[in-house]
Amino acid sequence: MTADNGALSPAGTGVIHDLGYRHYDGPRLGRAGIIRALCWHSLRSAFGIGRGAKAKIVPILMFALMCLPAVVNAVAVARAPGHVRIVDYDTYLYRLRSLVMLIFVAAQAPELVSRDLRSHVLPLYLSRPVRRLDYPLAKLAAFTAACLLVLEIPLIVLYLGTIVSAGGGSAVWAETRALIPGMLVAALWAVLLAAIGLVLASLTGRRAYATGVIAIYLFLTWTLSSILVGIAQEGPFKQAAGPPLGARLGGLISPFTVLDGVRQWLGGTSPGPIPPPGSVGFLYGVMFGVLLAASLAGLAARYRRVGAA
Amino acid sequence: MTAPPQLRAGPGPGGAGTAAAVIRTDALTKRYTSEVTALDGLTVTFAPGITGLVGANGAGKSTLIKILLGLLPPTSGWAVVLGHDVAASGERIRTLTGYMPEHDCLPPDVTGTEFATHLGRMSGLPATAAKERAAESLRHVGLYEERYRQVGTYSTGMKQRVKLAQALVGDPRLLLLDEPTIGLDPAGRRSMLDLISRIGTEFGISIVVASHLLGEIEQICDQLVVIDGGKLLRSDTMTSFTQVSQVLVIEVDEGTAALAAELAARGLEPRRSGRGLLVRIDGDVTYDAVRDTVADLGLPLNRLEQQRRRVEELFRDTGDEEERDDR
Repeated sequence: MTADNGALSPAGTGVIHDLGYRHYDGPRLGRAGIIRALCWHSLRSAFGIGRGAKAKIVPILMFALMCLPAVVNAVAVARAPGHVRIVDYDTYLYRLRSLVMLIFVAAQAPELVSRDLRSHVLPLYLSRPVRRLDYPLAKLAAFTAACLLVLEIPLIVLYLGTIVSAGGGSAVWAETRALIPGMLVAALWAVLLAAIGLVLASLTGRRAYATGVIAIYLFLTWTLSSILVGIAQEGPFKQAAGPPLGARLGGLISPFTVLDGVRQWLGGTSPGPIPPPGSVGFLYGVMFGVLLAASLAGLAARYRRVGAA
Repeated sequence: MTAPPQLRAGPGPGGAGTAAAVIRTDALTKRYTSEVTALDGLTVTFAPGITGLVGANGAGKSTLIKILLGLLPPTSGWAVVLGHDVAASGERIRTLTGYMPEHDCLPPDVTGTEFATHLGRMSGLPATAAKERAAESLRHVGLYEERYRQVGTYSTGMKQRVKLAQALVGDPRLLLLDEPTIGLDPAGRRSMLDLISRIGTEFGISIVVASHLLGEIEQICDQLVVIDGGKLLRSDTMTSFTQVSQVLVIEVDEGTAALAAELAARGLEPRRSGRGLLVRIDGDVTYDAVRDTVADLGLPLNRLEQQRRRVEELFRDTGDEEERDDR
């Protein structure tokens, strides 16, 4: 290095009009610190924080909508002490939850990845002291955390709203025991939907297209699953002894019904969008694994190529 | 094809002599497919200071930069940047190096400050330091007033400056600038080159400037590395490129023909070149002969000096033995 830079020479001349270039000799974060910083930055942008007011509308609205049943429940049980909780922890009004998550993921996953693709900013990330797959890793962690917040906070509100009106310790204990599997199910939702959302969003730099692709995929498969399950259950195949096989398999198409199948396979008993899968329950577990693995592999493959050219 | 200077027979990266060089490559080769060879056995040394990396589009400049950043594995050969092997220490190199890509890489809907701060964070700076260094980098590139405006509203020149600021924000020891003047008008190019020159000389940061416009970056470089088709064409210091030649240029306002005849008569073998005459120098005798001839003929002498080479002429004549006289 040339040591004879101008930054040293003005000292002693007594004239300070320009400090010149100053080198940075403070601490530097390692790779893990940089990933954490990117993760935090992305988590904030998933809720439009640090962006304009317009960027906050959808995430805040979806979050509020998701909390609504919990708030209604809190009011209901407070007015009639001893009243049973009106929303289940593990299914949590599955229609509303699916709709809210569909909109949240379709709107916000592109916010995290499509914008960077659009503006070709990836080479700048790659020229930083991180590895190629650290970028999608940070984005995935951030978006999973964002989905977790949207899914779990309403459950906690539901729990708190119920126990303040609960009579006695045993009731509180029963609520707590019901909450924990509910939170686990919500975590499965967050992990799968975040991965699916990001891999689809990373296909294109155009935000509107990315949103469209995610919404169409989630909505079409959901509709298809509902139709299949409905036909099998109500149509000419209707049987007296439990739901027919077609109805039990119909849910394998949509991520939302796959998640519900996994819930029931793991022992969830609240009524959901699909009939109890029974002996084919493990297939929902397999499908969950396949969808998640495919999304992660797709994301890794995508970001191994991007910026390499 | 000239033999690259100061080649060492060292066994591999990290050998003696690394300290002096900012970048060293040895037989560096990158093949994308069996047909497409981007770099072909490139062996070259980049000294501290400002180095121009010159070559036509597709010569392998961008590929070389990506390999130097540790982003692209070479097919064979090795490269050492700031004493670190690109194959093993890419992250370390990227901590010490700032990169300005050739293509547009700016999100339109963030302010200059937000952009530079975020990339400072990505360079490993803690939050407060990133803010401070972002403000300073933007000031150094002349964007202090406009730093709270959205990048999308910037002119092309300002966008190039923001790209430079994000490369500078992590306080690198080396800057790799890929076509920094692309898309700029002459005035914008001039000020961008001034800025790069200032960073190289005053900030104590070594710089590699990749460009396909030789005439432009020769003004600010200490060294030139010329590649063509992935191969080294020539690598030398700027002074040796523009060294004074052993040819005297003589220009008179009138009577050039008479002067030529008289010089020929005195055995100097003058050649016409534009408005002047060229005479090979054989020591002080030549100067004396020319002076006497001009004085005897009573011609108005306009110019009498040793010819300086422009770099571009040299590349046109690469391989001409006349060009390499005293090297």
